[in-house]
Amino acid sequence: MKTITLAGLGLAAVLAGAGAASAKTLVYCSEGSPENFTPSINTTGTSFDAARPVYNRLTEFKRGTTEVVPGLAESWDITDGGKTITFHLRKGVKFHSLKDFKPTRDFNADDVLWSFNRQWKPDHPYYKVSGGKYDYFSDMDMPALLDSVEKTDDYTVVMKLKTPNVAILANLAMDFMAIGSAEYADFLLKKGMPEQFDQAPVGTGPFSFVAYQKDSVIRYKANRDYYGEKPLVDDLVFAITPDATARYAKLKAGECHVNAYPRPADLAEMEKDPALKVIHASGLNVLFWAFDVAKPPLDKKEVRQALAMSIDRDAIMKDVFLGAGEKATTLIPPTMWSFDDKIPDVPYDPEKAKALLAAAGVQTPLEIDLWYQPVSRPYNPNGKRIGEMMQADLAKIGVNAKLVTYEWGEYRKRAQGGEDMTAQLGWTGDNGDPDNFFFLDSCVNGKPINNNIPKWCNAEFNDLLVKARVVSDQAERAKLYQRMQEIEHDEQPELLVAHSIVYESMRSNVTGYKQSPLGTHAFEGVDLQ
Amino acid sequence: MLIYFVRRVALTVPTFLALMFLTFVAIRLVPGDPVEVRVGEHGMSPERLAFFRHELGLDQPVWKQFFDYVWKLMHGDFGVSLATQQKVLSEFFTLFPATLELAFFAMLFAVAVGVPAGAIAAVKRGSLFDQALMTVSLFGYSMPIFWWGLLLIMFVSVRLGLLPVSGRIDLINYYFDQPTGFMTVDALMSGQPGAFIDALRHLVLPAIVLGTVPLGVIARMTRSSMLEVLSEDYVRTARAKGLPPSRVIGVHALRNALLPVVTVIGLSVSGLMAGAVLTETIFSWPGVGKWLIESIGRRDYPALQGGVMLVSAVVISVNLLVDLIYGAIDPRIRHGR
Repeated sequence: MKTITLAGLGLAAVLAGAGAASAKTLVYCSEGSPENFTPSINTTGTSFDAARPVYNRLTEFKRGTTEVVPGLAESWDITDGGKTITFHLRKGVKFHSLKDFKPTRDFNADDVLWSFNRQWKPDHPYYKVSGGKYDYFSDMDMPALLDSVEKTDDYTVVMKLKTPNVAILANLAMDFMAIGSAEYADFLLKKGMPEQFDQAPVGTGPFSFVAYQKDSVIRYKANRDYYGEKPLVDDLVFAITPDATARYAKLKAGECHVNAYPRPADLAEMEKDPALKVIHASGLNVLFWAFDVAKPPLDKKEVRQALAMSIDRDAIMKDVFLGAGEKATTLIPPTMWSFDDKIPDVPYDPEKAKALLAAAGVQTPLEIDLWYQPVSRPYNPNGKRIGEMMQADLAKIGVNAKLVTYEWGEYRKRAQGGEDMTAQLGWTGDNGDPDNFFFLDSCVNGKPINNNIPKWCNAEFNDLLVKARVVSDQAERAKLYQRMQEIEHDEQPELLVAHSIVYESMRSNVTGYKQSPLGTHAFEGVDLQ
Repeated sequence: MLIYFVRRVALTVPTFLALMFLTFVAIRLVPGDPVEVRVGEHGMSPERLAFFRHELGLDQPVWKQFFDYVWKLMHGDFGVSLATQQKVLSEFFTLFPATLELAFFAMLFAVAVGVPAGAIAAVKRGSLFDQALMTVSLFGYSMPIFWWGLLLIMFVSVRLGLLPVSGRIDLINYYFDQPTGFMTVDALMSGQPGAFIDALRHLVLPAIVLGTVPLGVIARMTRSSMLEVLSEDYVRTARAKGLPPSRVIGVHALRNALLPVVTVIGLSVSGLMAGAVLTETIFSWPGVGKWLIESIGRRDYPALQGGVMLVSAVVISVNLLVDLIYGAIDPRIRHGR
C-alpha cells in the first residue's frame, strides 16, 4: 500500500510539473533541422531560417516585403552604365562572440571579400570546407555576372559586372550572400577545425547563436549591439517539430508562439480559436500551363486564348489547392513590386473558346498533348489531378488532350528541350526581383532560353527586360515590367494558373511579426504581450 | 557454454553482411539520387550533375561502390552524411541516447504493467479482469502508433493540459549542458530545480505510446506462460505444503513463468526500434528513428546505410544477450537439449 501511495505521489508530481521564472523567450516551432548554419552551402528554407537570425547581408529585404534596402552596405553608387557598383559599408558593426571566440575588430571590407571569395574562388582556403557546393551562387549566375570584387579601403567595396544588371542588388540580399567573419574563419583555420565555421555561426545579426542540438532545439540570444531593428525578446528558441499536427498541438498548448507551415486542413479550426491568429500571403511562385508557340495551331494567338479560356481554374483552386492557392493573372504574385493589378483575369468561358477556335479555322476534335508535373511542388500540389481536370475541361470545347509525364528530372529536361506541345511547369522565385520571374519568357539573340517553355520570343518583351536591368530607379523599372505584363497577357504564351497561398499561425499575444513574401521567417521586431 | 557462445556470435556475421547488402541495394532502388534531390526549378547543368556524382563516387559501378563501402566499414569508417557533412558515427551517437532513453522507459512501462496484469489474469482465469485484459491487450497490440500518439497528445496534453505535447524538456525554463545525452540524467546533474521532473513529464506519453505494443505482447505471454506453470506439479506441491498463495504465485510460479517472457522482451527490441521511428516523429523526439526517415527523403546514402547498420547492431546484440541470459538461466538451452 505504501508503495502505491508513493508511486501515486510521484505521478502527481510528474503531472503537476514545476515552473521557473525566465526572461522573455520567443519559441518558434520550426519544421526540421538545418543542414548547417552557412546559407551559401545550403538550398533549403529550413537551413536559411536557422542562419538568418545570426547574419546580415550587404543589402537586405525590408521586413515583410521584397523591397531591397541597405544592410551592411549603408549606400551604393551605380556607375559605368550599370557595370560598376560601389558599396559604402556601415561602420561600428560588431560581430557576435562565442564561448571560445571573441572578435577583436568591427565588421569591414575583408569580411565582404571573404564571403564572396569562399563561394567564388576555388583556391580560397574555405572553398572545399563542408562539401563545397555553392548551389545558389551558381544558380543565381553570380560567376557569369561578376567580373571583380575589390576593396578600395576598409569601408568601400567596388563590384564590377560583366554585363549591367541591377537585379544583382536583390541577389545580394539573399541568404547565400550572408556576410561571415573573416577573423573567425582564420581563427578556426589556425585551430585546424574550419568545419566549425558552418556549425557554430558568428555574424552581425539581431540574434547571436548559443547552441544547437540536432532534431531538438536551436537557441539564440538577443544581440544588444545590433545596428538595425532591435530584437524585443531576450531569447529566441527554435523548437524543431517536424510533424505539422504536433506543431499545431504545441501552439495550442502554448509551448510555442509561432508555427511554421500549418496544415491547410487545420486552418479553419485555428481561425476559430481566440488564442491563435492566422495570417497569409501569396507564395513567391507561379504555376503555368505553357503553349509551345512553335507547334501549330498554337502559333495562333486565338488558339492559345481559346485553350486558356476553356479551363475552370476556380474548380482547380477549390478541389486541388483546397484554399491554399489563388488564381494568377500575371507571372509575378501580387505581393511583388511592379505587380500590375489592372491586368484582367482570364475568364472561364467555354462558349467563347469554341468560337475563337472556329474563327481561327481550327477543326475539332483537335488533338494535343498535355504534360503534367510528376511531383508535388509548393505551387502545384497535384499535377496529375490538375491535368485530369484540364483534360475534362478541354474535352468540352472539342480538344482531346493526351496526358503525358516523365520522371521529374527527365520531365524538366524534355520540356526545356521543347518536346511538349503543352506542359505544366512552375517557378519558385529567389530574390524577389521581377527580373527573376520575367526572364522565364525571355530570348537571347532571338532564341528562347532553356527555361522559356512556350518557346515564345517577343521582341518588345525582350527589349524591356534588358532595359529594366540597367535602370536603377525602382519606379522606373516597375513601369517597364508593367508593360511586359500587358504584352504577356495579350499574347498568352501560357495560362497562368496559380500562386500558392502561404499560411502562418501564431499565438494571439505575438506582436510585430511580418510575413515575408519570400517565404522566410524572421524575428527581429517581434514581441510577446 | 563457451562453444554455445562462439556459435551464437558467429551466426551474427552473415546476418550483418546480408543487412549491409540489402540496405545498400534498397536505397539505390528508390528513384532519384542524392544529387538529383537537391535540384529545384533551376535544374542543374549536366556537367555540374556529373561532377557531383563523381565526387560522391556515384558514377562507379554499384558492385564497386558496395565493396568500397564494406572495406571502409571494416575499418570503422561509416562515412560522412551528405546532408550535414558530419560524420555518420558522431551523428548517430548524438541521437542514440534519446532513442535509448525512450526505449528504456517504454519497456519499463510495458514490463511494469504487463507482467503483473498478465499474472493476475492467469490467476483469475475466466474472470471479468481476465477477459478485459485480453481484449485490451489485443487492442494494444494492433494499435496504430501514429493515431494512438496523436490521440493522447490531443486529449492529455491539449484538452486536459496535464502533460507537455512533445520534445524532451521545457525549452523556455530549462537550459543546461547535456554531457550524457540522457535527458533525465543530465537534468539531475544540472541541479536545476524541477528539471528532472520536467524531463520525466516529457517521457510519459511517448513511453506509453511506444510501450503499448510490447505491453500487449508481454501481458498475453505472461498470462499463457503463467497458466501453464500453474498447472505444474511443483506448484500443486507448494500449495499442498501450505505455503501462502502470494508465495506460491509470486515465487514458485511467476519466476518460472517469466522465462519465455524474457525472450519476448528481447524480441520486442527490434519492434521498439521500428516503433521509435513513428513515436519520435509524433513527439519531436530527437532520436535515430526520425533521423533515418529523413535520410531516406534526402537520399543520404551514408547516413542511411550507417544508421541501419548501427541500429541493427544494437538489435542483434540485444538478441544475442537475451539468448545468452536465457542459456544461463535455462540449462536446457545451452546444452542443446
